[in-house]
Amino acid sequence: AEVEETLKRIQAHKGVIGTIVVNAEGIPIRTTLDNSTTVQYAGLLHQLTMKARSTVRDIDPQNDLTFLRIRSKKHEIMVAPDKEYLLIVIQNPCE
Amino acid sequence: MKVHNFSKLFLLDKIIYCCYLNIQVFDEQGKDVTPRPLYRPEPNASLHKQSKILSTQDFSGATGSDFLSSLSTHQTSGINASLVGPFSRTYGSSSISKSTISTTESMADEIVEPGSRRDTAISLSGKENIREQLTKEDIDRRVDIYLTETETIWLLDMPTVMVSVESEDAEKLQERNKIYIELCKNKAGNDCFVERMMQTLNGAPKNKEMQCDKILMEDKGMMATSWDLYDSFNALETTLTSSITERSSRPTSVSSSKSNVTKDRERTTSTTSTDRESIASSSIIDLESVILARIHEEEEDHSEAILKSEKFQQDLFFMERVLMENVFQPKLAAYRQLPVLIAQEEILPPSLERLWSYTCEWSDGHNVSSMAWNKLNPDLLAVGYGQFGFKEQKKGLACCWSLKNPMWPERIYQCDHGVTALDFSLANPNLLAVGMYNGTVAVYNVQTHNTTAVLDSSESFDKHIGPVWQVKWIEQDRGTTGDDKGEILISVSADGRITKWLIRKGLGCTDLMKLKRTASERKKLTGEKKSEALISRQAPGMCFDFHPRDTNIYLAGTEEGHIHKCSCSYNEQFLETYRAHKGPVYKIAWNPFSTDMFLSCSADWSIILWRQDSVRPILTFSSTTNVVHDIMWSPKSAFVFAAVNEGQVEIWDLSVSTLDPLIVTFPNPGVKFTTVLFARNTDCILIGDSNGTVSVYELRNMIASDSNKV
Repeated sequence: AEVEETLKRIQAHKGVIGTIVVNAEGIPIRTTLDNSTTVQYAGLLHQLTMKARSTVRDIDPQNDLTFLRIRSKKHEIMVAPDKEYLLIVIQNPCE
Repeated sequence: MKVHNFSKLFLLDKIIYCCYLNIQVFDEQGKDVTPRPLYRPEPNASLHKQSKILSTQDFSGATGSDFLSSLSTHQTSGINASLVGPFSRTYGSSSISKSTISTTESMADEIVEPGSRRDTAISLSGKENIREQLTKEDIDRRVDIYLTETETIWLLDMPTVMVSVESEDAEKLQERNKIYIELCKNKAGNDCFVERMMQTLNGAPKNKEMQCDKILMEDKGMMATSWDLYDSFNALETTLTSSITERSSRPTSVSSSKSNVTKDRERTTSTTSTDRESIASSSIIDLESVILARIHEEEEDHSEAILKSEKFQQDLFFMERVLMENVFQPKLAAYRQLPVLIAQEEILPPSLERLWSYTCEWSDGHNVSSMAWNKLNPDLLAVGYGQFGFKEQKKGLACCWSLKNPMWPERIYQCDHGVTALDFSLANPNLLAVGMYNGTVAVYNVQTHNTTAVLDSSESFDKHIGPVWQVKWIEQDRGTTGDDKGEILISVSADGRITKWLIRKGLGCTDLMKLKRTASERKKLTGEKKSEALISRQAPGMCFDFHPRDTNIYLAGTEEGHIHKCSCSYNEQFLETYRAHKGPVYKIAWNPFSTDMFLSCSADWSIILWRQDSVRPILTFSSTTNVVHDIMWSPKSAFVFAAVNEGQVEIWDLSVSTLDPLIVTFPNPGVKFTTVLFARNTDCILIGDSNGTVSVYELRNMIASDSNKV
């Protein structure tokens, strides 16, 4: 489907280190990384996303978190959260 | 009388008694050393209550006061309540007399307790061993605890009596009052009254120690954030309560099961605070295993559903764009002409700098034949792919590219024939008109993801027979017909007709002009006969351009090299003919600023600048021996235009030089440039080539000039 195509394109994109899709319980549905790394990313990012969402909503309960980007020295982690899943992409933006 | 102050009250649903009294302890010699109970209640201690509630009452002295009736905590499975025995014993300490027992009994009556049970008298040897197992439901069952205040118990009440002044006894009473007051006054130094002190004998106090089981305490914490409250409030109001509670009960059941799991594992009475958001790291694995065991089937359905959900698609779409942004960020910033922090010291000559290119696997191998910007969104580009020559024809393609994703087009429309012309509509910016090599004109709606054309001219009567070389949407004053300014689609094709298409239940068209072959005289043609003779007498039209100010006048270029100036109101005659080109005129462009001038380019290697009123050209530019495919005036300056021929891209600046182009750029070897387009909102140009790549170049260091007339 189109979803598969887009997902493949993202995974094959230049600089993308890994792509993870986890469901609401933290179980990875799709991943291009090994299991331990995936579980680690999923767990940690889930907590961070919850905290970020809580922060946004505490300020204004009608607001909600749509996208989260964490830029680190080595790469950039992008998280698209939702009630049912988490889409995580780790990219190494080439300088 | 001693005062015991126990301020905790424990409520049990069913009592768990440990079997104190049937235990017998023997030491090595076989002697019975069973510890004997400290307290032996008097045999006639009536109804010493072993009630379910261990009421520890706070009573002070003799005056009645309100009792703390119940402070209860809900017992969970981990706590053994072996508290009944010892409490009941200390209850009756050595100094309690019978009377107090009875009073406390009566006081205890006033405590409301659901389902309380009274056990009968305790006997030393055979205390009832009542043990009831707490069943699981009982623990979880909600128990209602009612707190009430007991009535105030008066021990001495002497209310004041009021007597009216006018009654019979009034005088006597007043007398008595007076006497009493006198007495009080005289009391102080009077001999009749002597002060004496008395001492009461206190009984010898005795300390008594006892031991009880450790009191298990449990804390429970919840975090109520403001969005949590908001959510719960909204959940009550909406009609989707069922689905929401279902979803929220799942996480709560998850968290409670997790807490059970951790308790069973640890078996200590540490405080467990069930915070919804913090997951203890040790129990992540527990959690996962528990979840997997319980909700396994639900999950499988869900993961598929997640991948197919629309929200997921949308998120993927955004994610891709974000990725692109990361990769292309400096180039995009240059495109938008964000100011560069490093100030440039030297004055560099004007140059073209390549930013990026739009290309994807679909477009590889196709020839870029035309490009057009969207009128509403200046970041949306439509590119048509189709071969120019007759022999090279293959299936064509029209793609819509967005600035935000240079690696994959937003829309891909596949056409049976090569696409030769494209234009976006102004009135309806989502309509894209496409002209094809077989003469078909199709209109696509780019808003939807539908890949079929909205309108197609392949079935209309007067469709074009030759390749459509240009399409354009023109706004016209149609004052004569009574309509307001409307927009019509105009196309020119190799069958020599310039036709106006009307969107009325499909595409209907009328001819604006038929381009006739002219020698030195003009011939008139009558009628609209479609016969062989007509075709040979018509000159294939290659391009046209409407006057920027007056939309009735337009110029048409033909394959013979003539440029005709025509008017929409006359469709029989040309107003003017400009002859100078020796080869087919590929493109005509009016100068957007000084509207008397126009430019034309042709296969005879030259670009000619004309003035509207003169039949002779003003200036001719010929710099190469290559066919010039495309020209375009810059939207920012009256002097600058870009020309593309097969071997290079030239930027001409007429204010600088009329003999040589300002900038010349060469393509990659093996690739020919075919089309050029200026960007409206920025100083960049787009160049399409024969390999399907559209490259974006930035014009740097151009001398800014105002839009003056030449």
